Amino acid sequence: MSGFDAADAALHVPQGTLVRSRVVDDVADPLDRALDQKLTGYAVLEPGSSLLLGDEAAGLLTFEDGIPVVAYCETTDEGGVDALAALAAPGPCSVDLYELSAEALDPVHQSPSFQVPPDAPARELAADPTLAERTRERAPEERQAEESASAVEAFLEDEERIAEIQEEARTEAKSRAAEWGLDDQLEVQ
Amino acid sequence: MVEALAVASGKGGVGKTTSTLALGMALADEYDVTVVDADTGLANLCFHTGLAAADTTLQDLLLEDSDVAVDDAVYERFGLSLVPCGTSLDAFREADPTRLREVVATLADGTDVLLLDSPAAIGSQSAVLPLVLADRTVVVLQPTVPSLSDGLKVQEYARSYGTETAGVLFNRVRDDEAVDRVAEQAERYFGGPTLAKIPESDAARAARRAGKPLLAHAPDSPAATAYRRAAERLELQEGDSGQVADRFRSAVIPESP
Repeated sequence: MSGFDAADAALHVPQGTLVRSRVVDDVADPLDRALDQKLTGYAVLEPGSSLLLGDEAAGLLTFEDGIPVVAYCETTDEGGVDALAALAAPGPCSVDLYELSAEALDPVHQSPSFQVPPDAPARELAADPTLAERTRERAPEERQAEESASAVEAFLEDEERIAEIQEEARTEAKSRAAEWGLDDQLEVQ
Repeated sequence: MVEALAVASGKGGVGKTTSTLALGMALADEYDVTVVDADTGLANLCFHTGLAAADTTLQDLLLEDSDVAVDDAVYERFGLSLVPCGTSLDAFREADPTRLREVVATLADGTDVLLLDSPAAIGSQSAVLPLVLADRTVVVLQPTVPSLSDGLKVQEYARSYGTETAGVLFNRVRDDEAVDRVAEQAERYFGGPTLAKIPESDAARAARRAGKPLLAHAPDSPAATAYRRAAERLELQEGDSGQVADRFRSAVIPESP
């Protein structure tokens, strides 16, 4: 298990059994798989070309019967929807899926500050409203009404992170312009 | 000519083509509107407008040594002048994206508002050209972190070429109250106002299946009403037709490598 040492993190998750390890372009794929296979366990996520998190970025998302329960970002030491906001990054993402018993996960699942609405990972990490809706529909009734907009609000409140995204895009636009022979068109030299 | 607007998103699946056509139809009450499918790599305007079998498309105009007249690729439908793009991969590979400049210049001469349905991913010269050529952009977003993040990125790319944001559209909205807060926060980072918050709608999917723009298929749906409001809020900037066309023609765009 690389990049995320659950034992050292604020969220203590016992080691599970690795069932799938992939680098994906779209986090919707492993979320969809976890949902369809009713996975009880967790996913370790490492956004590969994250704009901000660097090489060591990693996060954890747990599932019960395929439905996401808690999220944690090791890099920012944030839990819940804030962790999803921190982990949402464009580009490929390494996702390892582990099986772990509901009993072993139970202490973790009792941490309210780490909990996420069932549909929030599909919405925030994968921007897949259809999968989000499907996940919400399959969630236990008492969890179906949980709100999910707060990850977006947390993201927009982080002025530093937004400034970094903008700066990164400006730098990228400039170097790409040179690559595409469009640098004469740039207004910001 | 009033203005050329690139409708951009930075991420696929947000309903960019639906939004481009809806804005176009709403603006067509007042202006002469031309909509160009400038998303040449993933063309789909033709499927939204019943033009999948169109004989001549933008792809023909972009071919080197093309002798097709621009007018031959313009179709009058739904009160709009539509320039669909074909979906042939061979034609896409053979296309010279820099010819888009001349096509846009010609179209700009004969219309009030030019809407360029732009590629979602800005990973190539042809994908960024609509942002370079347009006067301003309309950024289509979903109220999610990936969509906002990509929208910020596309805005910075456009700004690098001097193309400012005319406004932001929140599309496929499910939670009205939450999106109000998100839109208010987002206005700090995006140029231009929030034009509208468009509710998630089965009507948009049904319209696409029927091969019609939303405003033609379900004109009384809440989503259609929201798009009309967006068009009203969009403050177009009057430009001189000749000048706009000249600007496109003089844009120094090198030959493709």
